[in-house]
Amino acid sequence: MTMRADEGTLSPEEAIRLISAVAKGRDRAAFAALFGFYAPRLKAFMMRSGMTASAAEDVAQETMLLVWKKASYFDPRRAGVSTWIFTIARNVRIDRLRRESRPATVARAFDPSDEVDGPVSGEAAVMTAEREERVRSAIALLSSEQAQILRLSFFGDKPQSEIAGELGIPLGTVKSRVRLALGRLRLILDDLK
Amino acid sequence: MMKHHPSDETLFRFASGSLESGPRIVVAVHVGGCTACAARISEFEAVGGALLNGIEPEEMGEDALDRLMARIEVDSDSGGEAAQRSRPTRADVGIRLPEALDGCGIGPWRWIGPGVRWSRVTIPEDASANVMLLKVAAGRRLPEHTHSGCEYTQVLKGSFYDARGRYGPGDLDEADDEIQHQPVVDETGECICLAALEGRMRLRGFFGRLVQPFIGG
Repeated sequence: MTMRADEGTLSPEEAIRLISAVAKGRDRAAFAALFGFYAPRLKAFMMRSGMTASAAEDVAQETMLLVWKKASYFDPRRAGVSTWIFTIARNVRIDRLRRESRPATVARAFDPSDEVDGPVSGEAAVMTAEREERVRSAIALLSSEQAQILRLSFFGDKPQSEIAGELGIPLGTVKSRVRLALGRLRLILDDLK
Repeated sequence: MMKHHPSDETLFRFASGSLESGPRIVVAVHVGGCTACAARISEFEAVGGALLNGIEPEEMGEDALDRLMARIEVDSDSGGEAAQRSRPTRADVGIRLPEALDGCGIGPWRWIGPGVRWSRVTIPEDASANVMLLKVAAGRRLPEHTHSGCEYTQVLKGSFYDARGRYGPGDLDEADDEIQHQPVVDETGECICLAALEGRMRLRGFFGRLVQPFIGG
């Protein structure tokens, strides 16, 4: 059976419901739904950051395995599901790159304590949902050029020289554009508060 | 009162995962004590979440889910693999170190020049990262120096100042290769910092560079 690449959309609320079902009931159907949505996107994300298709698929699998194992650590007061899964994938990728560059070092198991602890309050879940919404709106408000440079620099290790080549602009220009795009993002984010 | 923070670019690279392990741990120490930067990182991580959500998906291989479910079965049978981590050696450096350094090895203080000592910090999953603690005596002036990559310095105790301002506990100084500075430790007491240099320089070269200004100055 071939997986369908695009499982359409998944609302933030539905994603939270699915994660809780995995956490509380070890619900395999809920996990399959999460897998259907996130695995192909994780694979695409990793390919965009310069991985081969097979390495990207490995990272997607590894990440989803950790989503299964760590579902009970998911805390809607700290991050939305997509953001949480992104941070897991990011850490899997960092570990993988370290292993590749230094085969002698010991592999590290994902440890939720690695995550930066933000302040957590009773209203934090609402605030988190608002923050995620704010970030989505802010990205939409960036110019297409700024959104593009942000996207390109977000997809991990792609050197800025490569981005420069892709956009046909000098390296120094990439640096200042990233700076400008982040400055604008900051303004929009603070404005939306 | 904290006055100096990592730049947005650095926090962005922290969030996206492209910051090297040395600078990463220095920034993690700063963020552990700075709610403003923690909030900024959460926002940048949410950018990652939004990008993940909106990306054009790539088809996974055949039976990818079945293979993963098979792994899950094996894992739950064996109760999951317990990662064996040997406890790193930690010398007592005289101050309570921030939590972000909990898994790191801490070397003993070593003399590298009048009034200056350093201790090697080892990140278990990346032994080649260039991270160190620096302890500089009160009133000590460090010779002017530049560096080839960005230098990240988090103040843990005491304070120093240079032409750009004063750096106290909790402050993070991000000095890129264009900055020429000559930090001076305040008279009120010794200053202990956590520092990392960007770039994969050879150990000898790295410490050579750091030691050189102290000895040669």
